[in-house]
Amino acid sequence: MSFMSLQVNEPGRSVLMTGNEAITRGAIEAGLSFAASYPGSPTSEILAHLGRLANEHNLYAEWSVNEKVAIEEAAAASFAGLRSLCIVKQNGLNVALDSLVSIAISGIKAGMVLVVGDDPGAHSSTNEEDSRLLSKVVHIPIFEPSTPEEAKQMTLAAYELSENLKLPVTLRCVTRISHASGNVTLGELQNVNKQAIFAKKDRYVTNAALHQLQEVKLAKIRQIADTLPFNTYKGPQNAKTVIIASGPSALYAPEAVNALGLDNEVGVLKLGMTWPLPEKFLLEHMKHAERVIFIEEIESFNEDNVMALAAQHISEIYPLEFYGQKSGHVTGPKGPGVGEMDPDKVKQSIARVLGVENNQAAEKPSLKLETPDVPVREMAFCAGCPHRASFWAMKSAVALDGRNAVVLGDIGCYSLALRRTGWALPQTMHAMGSSAGIANGLGKLERFGFKQPVIAVVGDSTFFHSTIPALVNARYTRANFLLVVLDNETTAMTGHQPHPGMSKNAMGEIVEGLQIEEVVKGLKLPVVIQDPYDVKGTTEVVYKLLQSEGTKVLVLSQACALVAAKASTRPRVYIDQEQCIGDSCGCNRFCSATFTCPATIWDPKKGKALIDEVVCNRCQVCVSLCPQGAIKVEGGANLDR
Amino acid sequence: MEQSKMPLRLRQEVMESGNCARCGLCVGLCPYIKTMNERIAFIHDCNREDGTCYRVCPRTPTNLSDLDKQVFGKERADHGLGNYLEILYARSLNKDLAQAGQYGGVVSTLAAYMVESGESQAAVLTKRQNNSPPTPCLARNREEVLSCSGSNYSASPTLSILNAGVRSGLEKLTIVGRPCQILGLRKMQALTERSEHNMSAKKVDFLIGLFCFWSLETEIYTYLRGKTGSARLLRMDIPQNYGVVTTENGEIQIPIDELRAFIRPTCQSCFDPTSEFADVSVGSTEYDPEWSTLIIRSTRGQEIVNKVCNAGHLETKPYPEERLPLLLNAVINKKKRVLESLSNGKGYEYLELSSDYTQGIEEGGVGR
Ligand SMILES: Cc1cc2nc3c(=O)[nH]c(=O)nc-3n(C[C@H](O)[C@H](O)[C@H](O)COP(=O)(O)OP(=O)(O)OC[C@H]3O[C@@H](n4cnc5c(N)ncnc54)[C@H](O)[C@@H]3O)c2cc1C
Repeated sequence: MSFMSLQVNEPGRSVLMTGNEAITRGAIEAGLSFAASYPGSPTSEILAHLGRLANEHNLYAEWSVNEKVAIEEAAAASFAGLRSLCIVKQNGLNVALDSLVSIAISGIKAGMVLVVGDDPGAHSSTNEEDSRLLSKVVHIPIFEPSTPEEAKQMTLAAYELSENLKLPVTLRCVTRISHASGNVTLGELQNVNKQAIFAKKDRYVTNAALHQLQEVKLAKIRQIADTLPFNTYKGPQNAKTVIIASGPSALYAPEAVNALGLDNEVGVLKLGMTWPLPEKFLLEHMKHAERVIFIEEIESFNEDNVMALAAQHISEIYPLEFYGQKSGHVTGPKGPGVGEMDPDKVKQSIARVLGVENNQAAEKPSLKLETPDVPVREMAFCAGCPHRASFWAMKSAVALDGRNAVVLGDIGCYSLALRRTGWALPQTMHAMGSSAGIANGLGKLERFGFKQPVIAVVGDSTFFHSTIPALVNARYTRANFLLVVLDNETTAMTGHQPHPGMSKNAMGEIVEGLQIEEVVKGLKLPVVIQDPYDVKGTTEVVYKLLQSEGTKVLVLSQACALVAAKASTRPRVYIDQEQCIGDSCGCNRFCSATFTCPATIWDPKKGKALIDEVVCNRCQVCVSLCPQGAIKVEGGANLDR
Repeated sequence: MEQSKMPLRLRQEVMESGNCARCGLCVGLCPYIKTMNERIAFIHDCNREDGTCYRVCPRTPTNLSDLDKQVFGKERADHGLGNYLEILYARSLNKDLAQAGQYGGVVSTLAAYMVESGESQAAVLTKRQNNSPPTPCLARNREEVLSCSGSNYSASPTLSILNAGVRSGLEKLTIVGRPCQILGLRKMQALTERSEHNMSAKKVDFLIGLFCFWSLETEIYTYLRGKTGSARLLRMDIPQNYGVVTTENGEIQIPIDELRAFIRPTCQSCFDPTSEFADVSVGSTEYDPEWSTLIIRSTRGQEIVNKVCNAGHLETKPYPEERLPLLLNAVINKKKRVLESLSNGKGYEYLELSSDYTQGIEEGGVGR
């Protein structure tokens, strides 16, 4: 039902929604006024929805320059009495962490919820990171939904709790919940038009003296947790085996127990609030158990916390055995904590602990896909992606320079350059903007005999997000490197969200975009703008810049092919098979096998190259690279390269 | 010739080991070899077994007697200067070309005749760029030839323009090149058993070779800029024991040792200082800067020189008897040095010399 479902104002009606939609809906039902985010999978859709609903529901939604600014803005709205929401992914929380720690200490006013999208299995992330550990450091409570319905309920509950305790509250939502759909019971849509005011008497200051208050708040929440409806136990009254699970694992566990025929022996305790723990509730069920099995994703967060609780109450619960990641029983094939859980892994894990026969063959998946086998598709730049041309030009310039230039990668679609599609050119990749920081470091090693040129490659959104301070540093410390900004005029990887360089904001309003070159010029650093589709020209420019000293910036400006294709009236590109001489060329099928644009394919019948016109975005880059001149533009038109 | 992984071996044995002569013939055969600032590099390994690039490279195994037979129909009698019909002094009778030329303006006069008479559609030349590396030029008329006269002492890969020129449809081309460039072209012309594709040298029908005992690294231009400042560089010459650069502000002398520091090491393993496989070879007289040395090697060379002389563009006179041993000695000594370092295992082994060729050098070259 998707986006439409967010607008249905029929309380009580049950509607199919994704987890992200459910959170969006929950926030609006809670009377949200202010939302800020930086895009990142799995939770990007929430702010996009809020942006579209902003007018109707009197709220403000923003794609912020980065997560640190986003969390600070959400806190600001809360200080002014408005319910606020900040949405980040796990890495985004790292960026926001410094501020969040302080905000949790100073306290807030109106309800403030932090949605953190974690990505077990790293479907769309550089890493598997368990953000719960960070929320624990921050001293704030964590809700973990297992279904979209729960995601919505928890959003509402999180606002209540946050406002009562003057503390931000985390809603940790993993990819499987964010992107899965389930029935959600609608509540009343709010349309609050709240007056914002920063009260004269109010103070929000970070101060070590407030640590004590934080502990008091956590102790209160611990008590509330014991009666929260999200923490549940299902199973025999005095089960000898109790499974403790949270998130999607709390759905897999009962399914696995049932499949193993253990419904009458094993109980499942679902933790909906994983920090602080519902201690009494947990102890109550640990008392009747002889063994506890922990099932959760990424870190052994619940396992560690519950075992610490158990140790403290050892005399009340003894004897009791613990099984989980620590004991090595709960694991997928790659080892405990690595990769996502699924019903099969859970089943195998339980069977392993209890020494029962796993009645279905371990290899047999519980779900059989009814679709035919789909060919494996290589992770690659899209057809016509300007990044492919940019990396080929950089690769060429680096080879021609001959001094083993080091290329530093960063976070965005262009991270794909680590693969075959970018000829594995980058030698490092870390966090948003890290390439520029690493370039700062390498760019000063000349005194230690370092002679290799350095190229840091960031996207436009990453440039604004966290590259600018590194550039300031570079100018100040005279670092020797070339920063290449792949400016495709959007935050492409996460779904084309606008950023400060664009002339549109999250709510669809027209704003004045900030030009990257203006920023660089303001820093008094040299900047060159170049069209990467002109591969030869770009190669020359990169080469020339590598020969010059100091910090310099090259903006490779060309719109994301997916955006450009929609508006394109470019002429058709085709291969003249008379002119293509196939394998006798010596180019070794350059277009389809080396440049590997998905639109250039091999025609096995003719033994020549062919353009898949459905896929082709008509960028014409291959036209300029074919050594035979066999790739042509209809009407003879050319971009004059 | 071992017939596997040729492109990879070209990269390793010739380019990365510093033996590339920078002729430029491999550039533009494929999408993988490119040049910038006179350097030639593979930008991506093509992983092919066979490679025209390797076969035509002047720095991959070359059989000189086969090449002699291919170009001149016979093995050489003179192991110093190679096959030739006549050796002369020559100079241009065209004032502008004589003036602009490095010495006698002979090369430019021949090239200008070729494009003006229609014998050639264009000439592949090398054009000075003030104090930067020169650029390749496809000259189609006299003015363009004139604009390319004079020597640039770096190893500019100017043949890179040949493949592009032929692809754009040009035929019957004149080439002016250093000995390595002439050798590469002849090796490509020898690839008769291979398909016509990319064999651009087959569209070349007149080869003017320069004398060249060594060339300089590209860094020479940065060095010269240091000497000349912003003054425009008009001409450079290396007479016997010093270098001279002429700028708009006059002449600057450069100590020979400072220039020697820029000599490309690979030139020390070059066996051919007089463009032995050209139709005609042109060098200095080391004596009279108004004249050039002209070696007519092939009948094609003879035919063209006759035509140019008959048309009144060029005059010749006999090569002074007493100076011939000087030239021969210089050439033989260079060849001996190359053979010596080869036998010491220091040189770069790309020559496939038959024993009588080696013996010929050892015995001093001529008239066995
Ligand atoms: C690198 C180099 C080293 C040389 N070393 C010697 C030497 O040791 N002894 C000797 O006698 N002669 C040497 N010569 C040749 C000499 O400098 C003259 O080029 C030659 O005598 C012809 O003079 P000219 O007046 O007839 O030529 P011009 O009419 O002036 O014509 C010169 C031609 O040379 C071409 N040319 C210029 N630079 C290059 C280059 N880098 N590569 C290829 N072609 C080029 C130009 O396109 C032009 O067509 C060398 C030339 C070069 C380029």
